[in-house]
Amino acid sequence: MLHIVDDEEVIRDSLTWLASTRNIAARAYGDGAAFLASIHAGPTFAVDGDCVLLDVRMPSLSGAALFDELTSRGLTARLPVIFLTGHGDVPMAVDTLKRGAFDFFEKPFNDNNLMDRVLEALEASRQAGAAAAVGLRLATLSQREKEVMGLILEGNMNKVIADKLGISMRTVEVHRAHIFDKMTVKTAVELARLLK
Amino acid sequence: MWLNDFHDETPPIPPTPRPGWRWALTLPPALLMLLVLMSLIWLPWRAQKLESDERQEQLIADTLWVEQGLRLQLARNEDELRQLAIEILAGRLTPLDLRLRSASLLGKNPEIVRLEWLDVNSQILAATDEPAEGPTSLPARSITAATSARIAGTPRYSTPAAPPDWQTPPRMTYHVPLMDGKRYLGSLVVTYSMTTILDAMVPWWFAHENEITLTGIDDNVLVRRTAGGPGRGVYVHAHALDLPGANLTLRTNSLKFAPKLLPNLLIGLVLALTLALLASLVALWRDIKRRLEVESALRQQVSFRTAMENSLVTGLRARDLGGTVTYVNPAFCQMVGTQAEDLIGRLPPMPYWAPEAAAEYQKRLSQVLAGTITPQGFETIFQRASGKRFPVLIFESPLLDESGRQTGWMGSILDISERKQIEDLNRLQQEKLASSARLASMGEIASTLAHELNQPLAAISSYTTGALNLLACSDANAKVDAASLRLALERANAQAQRAGQIIRSVHAFVKQREPAREPVAMQVLIDGIVPLIELQAHKFFVGLYVNIAPGLPPVLADRVLIEQVLLNLTRNAIEAMETTAPQDRILQIDAWRTAAVATTQDGDTDSSSGSNLAQPVRIAVIDRGHGIAPEINDRLFSSFFSTKAEGMGMGLNICRTAIEFHGGQLTSSANPKGGTIFEFSLPVALPALPYTPAKSVH
Repeated sequence: MLHIVDDEEVIRDSLTWLASTRNIAARAYGDGAAFLASIHAGPTFAVDGDCVLLDVRMPSLSGAALFDELTSRGLTARLPVIFLTGHGDVPMAVDTLKRGAFDFFEKPFNDNNLMDRVLEALEASRQAGAAAAVGLRLATLSQREKEVMGLILEGNMNKVIADKLGISMRTVEVHRAHIFDKMTVKTAVELARLLK
Repeated sequence: MWLNDFHDETPPIPPTPRPGWRWALTLPPALLMLLVLMSLIWLPWRAQKLESDERQEQLIADTLWVEQGLRLQLARNEDELRQLAIEILAGRLTPLDLRLRSASLLGKNPEIVRLEWLDVNSQILAATDEPAEGPTSLPARSITAATSARIAGTPRYSTPAAPPDWQTPPRMTYHVPLMDGKRYLGSLVVTYSMTTILDAMVPWWFAHENEITLTGIDDNVLVRRTAGGPGRGVYVHAHALDLPGANLTLRTNSLKFAPKLLPNLLIGLVLALTLALLASLVALWRDIKRRLEVESALRQQVSFRTAMENSLVTGLRARDLGGTVTYVNPAFCQMVGTQAEDLIGRLPPMPYWAPEAAAEYQKRLSQVLAGTITPQGFETIFQRASGKRFPVLIFESPLLDESGRQTGWMGSILDISERKQIEDLNRLQQEKLASSARLASMGEIASTLAHELNQPLAAISSYTTGALNLLACSDANAKVDAASLRLALERANAQAQRAGQIIRSVHAFVKQREPAREPVAMQVLIDGIVPLIELQAHKFFVGLYVNIAPGLPPVLADRVLIEQVLLNLTRNAIEAMETTAPQDRILQIDAWRTAAVATTQDGDTDSSSGSNLAQPVRIAVIDRGHGIAPEINDRLFSSFFSTKAEGMGMGLNICRTAIEFHGGQLTSSANPKGGTIFEFSLPVALPALPYTPAKSVH
């Protein structure tokens, strides 16, 4: 989902329409407060990725201020922000880029380039979301299970693992089953790809 | 160069003698004075001394002469007596003969009072007067003298004494013993009157000048002759009369006073003259000293003034009453590039007159000479010798002599070319400043323009890119969503229109189009936009009231710009009243003209009178909205400042620029009834065109 935050209605409208021509779902917000409200109201971000197009100059809550707010909430990793700047706002945009913004575009911009970058941002968001999910799953593993998982990823057989850890084969098999269950994978190859 | 020559004009100042040398100069006169004074004291003293000595010597000589005379007379008498004695001893004389002889003797010599012939027993044998017989009645001293003469056998005088029977004066006797060998036969006795001795034997002239006395042994005065009065005791002399038997001293005492210090006229005159000379010398010396002091002060003053004149940058030029230049200072010469000698004594036209301004100079000169100029300076141009012109500022003031009589005119001339240059420079700089301010304003406008244009351009770009994307997809799928495409293109078109609008509205500022201002009636101008305002006003339920004062002259304005300004202000006003109670949502547009200045003699206000033409037309847009917070009042007209969610902060800025373009000022003030009043003025179109007042419009 592409979130467009701009105080100018024609920009919101045109960008929404442009995104639709590239098959990108978009939602427009008239100001930063409305966007923040939507984050509060809705659940966590969708797995297929989210991205924000943010106008630097806006009344009440400026783009930079909104970005700082998102950073302080720790959302920028999963919610890449692309800044749109008017004339004279470039230094501010560069500053936000240094602080972790995904990219910035100076008006007038090449729209399809912008959309390409939006797609990249969405992909990045998606991956970040996935990584976050893996992290959550890893957090459920016990210490012994993590040791066993490490040996599994090294390609060791159950017997070897049992020998190395000094436990029975049966215990290793139980751990492996728990690991696969918790990481929602069926095979060791799948697990390896997930943790790549 | 000629510049340096002027400094040589100053007359060289003679070097002042050194103080040591000067002091030495006073020494000879002082010495001379001392000498003169000394001789003045010495000479009279010396003269006095000389005179005194001379008189003393004269006195001595006279005294000696008198004594000689006395002695001679006495000696002659002695001889006579001796002759008589010889004849008596020879027996040729009888007492009768003697009497006869002695009578002639007495007749010749008045000093002899009596002659007696005494015998051995001192009996008078014969005498010149009674008693002619009997013992002699000689005084005691005389008898002593007679005795000693008899013993010694030589004649003797007796010490003078007053005879007991005679009153005065004292007498002196002379005894001549008649000796025949050793035998005393008698004696001849002559009695002298002491008084007569002095009276007869001393010359009258001597007696007249001197007091003469004869004194005895113990200095007792025997006889005194004071024909001219008593002696002064200044010049005295005593000389012993060496008479055998008598001890007499002749004393003279001059009647003359001691010589005075200034005994004679000549010395007094010389002294007086000398003193007068000295006094005049002193006076002269003091005068010279004073003169020297004054001269030195004058020299100092002159050198000070010369230095002052030479250092002046103001040119000084003195002219007499006929207009002839009598003085110029170096600064003036330097200014006009001419030598002082070429200027002094000249009559107009002067070499520094620029030919093209000669008429002005002549007029000015005649004004100056007529004395009708003002002390305020006047500006004109002068010409250097090189022909170069330069601006000057001239002040003329009358030259007065000591008695207050005007002798000419003194002019101070200031070269103001530098000042002019500075003024020009200042003007240039201000023009530059204004131009850079314009540039800055242009930059601001450009920046605003770019910002404003970015929005529609970005939108257009997005719409068209999207449309292309759609077409690309459609190519593949052989199906075009015409409705979606039309929507996008329509929107893109609308944005392009908006961009064009922006470009047009800004055009006015960029091009600085002066000719666009033309006379337009306020009524016409406002009527043109009232429908637009009303459209918006209806939306917000705002009532619009337009009050245009009757008889307003047309204003000189760019109609489009002023319409924009009014639209902008009214839109702001309407939006500001969004939260106002519906019954108070009143938008008011007033146009009027202050007529306070123009009140004719009739007391009627006359808006078309000449003095009122400059009075601009004032227009106010009055709302009852939320007003303007004081903290944002200062930033109200700056660009990119907006209180509106969608505002770019350009509206009021552009409005202000537009009003300033018309020579007015856009001001905001609080409405006493609540809300805000925006007010500006527009210049009246000149000359005033006949104008028909229109009715007010609601």
